[in-house]
Amino acid sequence: MPQISVERLTKHYGTLVALDNVSLDIGSGEVFGLLGPNGAGKSTLLKTLVGILRPTSGTIRIDAIDIVVEPEKAKRMIGYLPENPSLYTGLTTLEFLQFVGKIRGVDDELLEREISESLKSFGLEEKRNSLVGSLSKGMKQKVALIATSLHNPEVLVLDEPLTALDPKTRVSVKDWIGAQTRRGVTTILSTHDLDVAQSHAGRIAIIDHGKIVAVGDIESLRKMARAESDARLEDVFLRLTAEKGEDPILK
Amino acid sequence: MNLGLSLGTVGVLVRYWVKGRFTKATLVGLAVGETFSIVFVLFGSSTYLSFSNRVGLTTGLSEVAGSLLLALYLVGLIQSGFNGSGLPVNSSDVDYVFTSPVPPREVFGAKILLNSLTTVLFGFPPILVLYLRFSAYYRTGWPVAILAGMVTLVFLVIGLLLSADITLSLGRGIGQRKKLWRNLFITLVLVISLLPITLLIPEVPGVIAEAARILPNGLAATISVGLVSGTSRTIAYLVDLLLLFGWLVGFLLLGVRLSRGHFYEVLEVSVPGAEKFDEPNQSSRLNPRGRSLWSVVRLKERILISRTREARALFVNAMFLSGFLVIYALSGSFQSSPTSFLFILFIIGSFGSGTASRWIEKERLWILKSSPVSMRRYVKEVYRARLAPLLFYLTPVTVAVGVPLVLSQLEQPPLLLGVVLALPGALEIAGITMAGGMYFASRYGQSSADDILSSQAQELADIRRFLFQTVINLIMVSPLILLVLASERLASSLGPGSLPALAASLVVVSIVFASFAINVLLNKAGDAVSRREDL
Repeated sequence: MPQISVERLTKHYGTLVALDNVSLDIGSGEVFGLLGPNGAGKSTLLKTLVGILRPTSGTIRIDAIDIVVEPEKAKRMIGYLPENPSLYTGLTTLEFLQFVGKIRGVDDELLEREISESLKSFGLEEKRNSLVGSLSKGMKQKVALIATSLHNPEVLVLDEPLTALDPKTRVSVKDWIGAQTRRGVTTILSTHDLDVAQSHAGRIAIIDHGKIVAVGDIESLRKMARAESDARLEDVFLRLTAEKGEDPILK
Repeated sequence: MNLGLSLGTVGVLVRYWVKGRFTKATLVGLAVGETFSIVFVLFGSSTYLSFSNRVGLTTGLSEVAGSLLLALYLVGLIQSGFNGSGLPVNSSDVDYVFTSPVPPREVFGAKILLNSLTTVLFGFPPILVLYLRFSAYYRTGWPVAILAGMVTLVFLVIGLLLSADITLSLGRGIGQRKKLWRNLFITLVLVISLLPITLLIPEVPGVIAEAARILPNGLAATISVGLVSGTSRTIAYLVDLLLLFGWLVGFLLLGVRLSRGHFYEVLEVSVPGAEKFDEPNQSSRLNPRGRSLWSVVRLKERILISRTREARALFVNAMFLSGFLVIYALSGSFQSSPTSFLFILFIIGSFGSGTASRWIEKERLWILKSSPVSMRRYVKEVYRARLAPLLFYLTPVTVAVGVPLVLSQLEQPPLLLGVVLALPGALEIAGITMAGGMYFASRYGQSSADDILSSQAQELADIRRFLFQTVINLIMVSPLILLVLASERLASSLGPGSLPALAASLVVVSIVFASFAINVLLNKAGDAVSRREDL
C-alpha cells in the first residue's frame, strides 16, 4: 500500500485550473522528484498535499489518513518546507525552533535535544540567540530545514529547497536531504535543479499546466519522451513539456 | 527659493507611482471608501450638532475640539515618522528608484508630492462635506466652507512633511542617544497636543491658550472653524494663515535639507515581516519546558509584541488617551449628560481594533497551517495574549476617568448607573472591537508571503476590510451602548431601592453579551485563517 496516495486531485483558483485530475502513488521511504516549468502547479500540489490548501475535488491520503477529513492526524506525519519560507523575524533562532517544535507536538526533552543537535550539525550554534530577522538567507533556510524535521516526520515535502542558495549552503542542504532519505523518510522533492532530481529521486513526475504528463524512473521517462538511452534529464524534461507544435529547444 | 530639485525627474517619478497605484479596480474601491467616509461625516456632524444643542455641552463647533482632532492626526503621523514610515517606500522603489542616478532630495520631493496629492484627493471630499454641513448650520455659505477645507488640507500636508522630516532625522547623528531624544520628543508632542483640551478646564492660565494657538493644529482649527462659524476676524485670519504657511515652508525646507545626503537606509520598506529590530541578539525567553502548547503560543505573541514597535505605540496611545479623558472629565463635560458616557465608550472602545488588526502580518501561516493545531483555538490564544496589554493600559485610564465621574454622580443614582455600566462597557467594547479587528485581519489582512495578492489588490482588500470592520463592529457593540442609554430610564422606573441589583444584573448581562460576541468573532477569525490560500 502506498504511503501517499493522491486520487483525481483538482484545484481551482476561481476560473484558473491549477491542478487537473492529478493521481499519484508514492511508496514508503521513496524519494519522489517533482519537476515542471514555472506555474505548472508544483507548489499548489505540494501545498494541497500538506493540507494548507483545500482540494476542489479528489482525495489525498497519507498512510490511509485523508488529509481533508483528519487534517491534524495527517499533519503530525508531515514535514513541509515551502519555496520561500518566511519565519518569525522577531523571535530568536532558539525561540523560533522551540515554538515550531511545540506546535508540532514534540516532547520537551526530545525537542531540546533535537534543536541542540541540529544547530550543531548546521553550524548555527552561535546564532541561537540571534533574531531570525538578522540571519542571512542561507542561515534562514537552514533554520527552516531544522524546523521542518523537528518532529521527525515520516513524510517530507520540500518545495525548491535549493533555490538561491550559495554553493556552501547548497551542499549542506543536499547532505541533509541525503541523511533524511537514508533514514527512510518518504520525500517529495520539487526542484528546478535536474541534477539534484536525478541524483536523489528514484522516480520523477513531470507536471505541466496542472497535469502529470509523465511519471517514472529516468529510464521510463526517456522512453516516454522518445529520447536517446543516454539522454540527460534536462533533454527529457524539455521534450515532455514542449507545447504542441513547438519545437523542443534541444533541437 | 532654489530647492535644487529637477521638476522633470520629480514628475516622472510621480507619474510612475500614480500609474502603479491607481488601477480601475482600486479607483472603484476608493470611490466606495470615499462615499462611506462622506456618509459617516454627515451622520457624525449632524449628531454632534443636535447633541451639543440639546445638552448645551458646547456652543456648536468649537476651535478647541477642532484643534484637538487635528492634533490627534498629528500625533499619529509623528509616531509613524519615528517608526521609519514617514516616507513610505515599497520594494520596487528600492530595486528601481534607489538604484537609479536620481538625487535623494528629488526622491524626497516626489514622495512628498505624491503623498500630498493622494491626501488632498482623498481627504478633501469628506473634509469639504464636514465644513459644508457646519456652514449650512451657521449660514455662512459654501465658498467659506471650501476655503476652510483648503486650510485644513494645508495642515494635513504639514503633518506629512513633519512625519517625513522625523523619519529622515533618525539617520542624522543622534546615535546612541536616539532613543532618549525620541522618547523626550514624543512626550513633548503629547503634552503640546493636549494643550487645547486644557482650555476646557475653568480658570486655566491664558498663556496655555496662546501656546496652543500658534501650533499648526491650533492655527488650522482657528482659521477653519472661525471661517465656517462666521466669526468676523479677517486680519487676524490673514496673520494666522501666514503663520500656517510658515510652518509648511519650514518643514519643507527642513526636509529638503535633511534629504540632501543618502537617506535610504533609514526608510522602512513596507513589506510584511520586514520589521527592523534595534538589537540583533536577544536573550531567548521562550522556554517551552513544562509549559502547555497554548501557554507557549501566548508567550510567543507577547515576545513578538514586546520586540516590535507595537508595545510602544500602545503605550503612547494609552498615555495620550488617559491624559485627554482625565482632563475632559475634570472639565465637567461628562457630567452634563449620561449621553456623554457614549464618548467614553467610543473613545476607549475604539482602541481595541488598532494594533489587533496587524497580528496577521506577524503570523507565519504556512507554519501554523502545516501544523496539527486548531486554528480557532490558536486565534483565541493570540487574542488572550494581545488583550492582556490592552487591558493593562486601558483599565487605569478607565479608573482615572471613572473616579471623578462616580464621585460627581453619587447624588443622582440613575446617572450613576450609567457610569457604572459605561466604565466596564468601554473595556468590553475594546475587547469586541479587538476581536473584530482580528477577524477582519484574518480575512483581508496581508499575510507573510502572499503570492496572489498584489499591492493594488491588497489596497482594495484594505478598503473592504475597513468598511466591513466598521459596520460589523458597530453592530456588535450597539447592544452595550443601548444598555447604557437605557439604564437611566430603567433606574428611574424601578426606583432607588432596586438600583444595586439592577446594576449588578446589567453588568452581568453586558459581560455575557461581550463574551458571546468575542467568541463568535474569534471563531470566525479562526475559520477565515483556515480558508486562506494566499500563503
